[in-house]
Amino acid sequence: MRSTPLWTAEAARPAWTREALADLRAAASAFRLGLTGAFAAWPALVGRVAFYAVCLMVLGAFWAKVGAARLPGTLAARLPASGLAPYIGVTEWIVISTVAVQLRFEDEVRSGVLEARLLRPRSWALLLIAEAAGGTAARMIAIAPAALALLLVADVWPGVEAVVRTVLLAIGGVVLALLAYALVGLSAFWVRRVLPAALIVQKLMFLLGGLFAPISLYRGWLHTLAVASPFAGQLGFPGQAILGMSWADFARALAAQVAWTIVLAAIVALVCRAGVAKTLREGAS
Amino acid sequence: MKLAVTVKDLRKTYRQPRRRTGAFGGLRGLLQPEYTELAAVAGVSFDIRAGERLAIIGPNGAGKSTTLKMLSGVLEPTGGAADVLGFTPCRERRALAYRIGVVFGQRSQLWPELPARDSFALLQRIYDQPDELFGRRLGELSERFGVAGLLDQPPGRMSLGQRMRCEIVGSLLHGPALLFLDEPTIGLDVTAKAAIRDFIREQSAREGQTVVLTSHDARDIELVCERVIVINAGRIVLDEATEGLRRRFLARKLVTVRSVAPELTVEMTGVTRRPSEPHTTVLEVDTARARVEAVVAAALAHGGIDDVSVEDPPMEEVVHEIYASLDG
Repeated sequence: MRSTPLWTAEAARPAWTREALADLRAAASAFRLGLTGAFAAWPALVGRVAFYAVCLMVLGAFWAKVGAARLPGTLAARLPASGLAPYIGVTEWIVISTVAVQLRFEDEVRSGVLEARLLRPRSWALLLIAEAAGGTAARMIAIAPAALALLLVADVWPGVEAVVRTVLLAIGGVVLALLAYALVGLSAFWVRRVLPAALIVQKLMFLLGGLFAPISLYRGWLHTLAVASPFAGQLGFPGQAILGMSWADFARALAAQVAWTIVLAAIVALVCRAGVAKTLREGAS
Repeated sequence: MKLAVTVKDLRKTYRQPRRRTGAFGGLRGLLQPEYTELAAVAGVSFDIRAGERLAIIGPNGAGKSTTLKMLSGVLEPTGGAADVLGFTPCRERRALAYRIGVVFGQRSQLWPELPARDSFALLQRIYDQPDELFGRRLGELSERFGVAGLLDQPPGRMSLGQRMRCEIVGSLLHGPALLFLDEPTIGLDVTAKAAIRDFIREQSAREGQTVVLTSHDARDIELVCERVIVINAGRIVLDEATEGLRRRFLARKLVTVRSVAPELTVEMTGVTRRPSEPHTTVLEVDTARARVEAVVAAALAHGGIDDVSVEDPPMEEVVHEIYASLDG
């Protein structure tokens, strides 16, 4: 039987399916472009890996000192036996890898480049996020060997299963982080400068996400708030996975990430639609 | 006669919040906002035939970019109607995007640090082009625009002229029926400008593409377009064939001579001296009555010449002259 050419099969699909597939293909291409672009700028990647190593040395040494004290009744008494270096290795891996996509959004909205982007038949925000995801993936790949080396050198290898769970949750974590930053970037339609909003979100991410210490160490309302926030999915869950996590906890963490991804993506889509409508009505800057 | 664009009484009024002065001005502005209305386009009507090359010119702030934005669907009109290739631009922006190509002289659609080929590959996906068709178009266009050898170079390392040729190739890869060009030769040297003009004209003639161009360079209009619309203060003040405009308003050149002597005199029919600073002489040449090379030769014959340049009068001046002729 003769096979049907791809384009004929596509032509038979409903228009909205064709458009959705075209959106996905364009996003994949933008992702590839972001990945290639980040690898092409390899000196910046090397610098990022060096920065990651320095962060780990400083923070690892700090928590080693705190852990060594083991003061009863303090947070130090509840630290995992392996120390927090692997945990921070994961959270910093996510933070240092995530592309600051909010700056691209701000730049394109403020410079008026947005108008040129709106002349294309694909979603401007989707392509920007996909390209940033490509850059983020390149950074994650570049930093990963340093992170693995840390686990081996520090003699805290958690096992292949834990590493696989961590990598999967870390991917979910950067998706959430990119969506949160995209939301911050989209505020440029109304506030022009996104830095204040970016700083607030970043600090919330560090605190409620548990950048420097697992949120499982938090107590009372802070713990409840952290677990209920999307930031736990960004940093806390992936970090916890490297310290040890059952498959049931992993499934719960993954479900929370998926749920927050859907919520944030929907908010990004709505805010983007409102911002673009404003630009179409009032013109770019 | 098939029409590519029909515009009827198109209007755009921007509403801007009025800034209040005083210590609590910001707060009062928030509680009781007041707005100023600015009519950027105050009712323009025109048609563009399929395959026609049209220039929209006018001084800064005249409303030409606003008109172009409304025609391409990235700005909603306040009133009136526009039909572009059978689409209503503001309502069918996404569908229209497949049929139009846009080049902004001051904005790039290519990634500066990656090979042009990579940017084109993304454009293929953005416009959902089948591999075979895209490959054929890229091959033809890159040969035609002389960029075949540049595809593996990042635009950031190309000359401005090479980059602009790549930009135009990028805007044509999805086979648009209508091409909007906003200042496509801005910042280019004379040779690069000439090459871009030739490419646009030949491309349009070969593929039957409709071209709408805005430019501050009178030569772009003369050499590329068949018809010119002059806009000022949001209204069309002139709509005629380029040939007529050339005869009436573009038949002048400015020859600027920098000399060791404080003043230089060239006595020729069709040449007038414009007020200028010491050591700089600006000669206005009526090209219907005097040849530019003869004027330059006469100036050089004086000796002690540091620099000579030949330019078109600024577009603002041309528009002013058009205005004066309309008043008269």
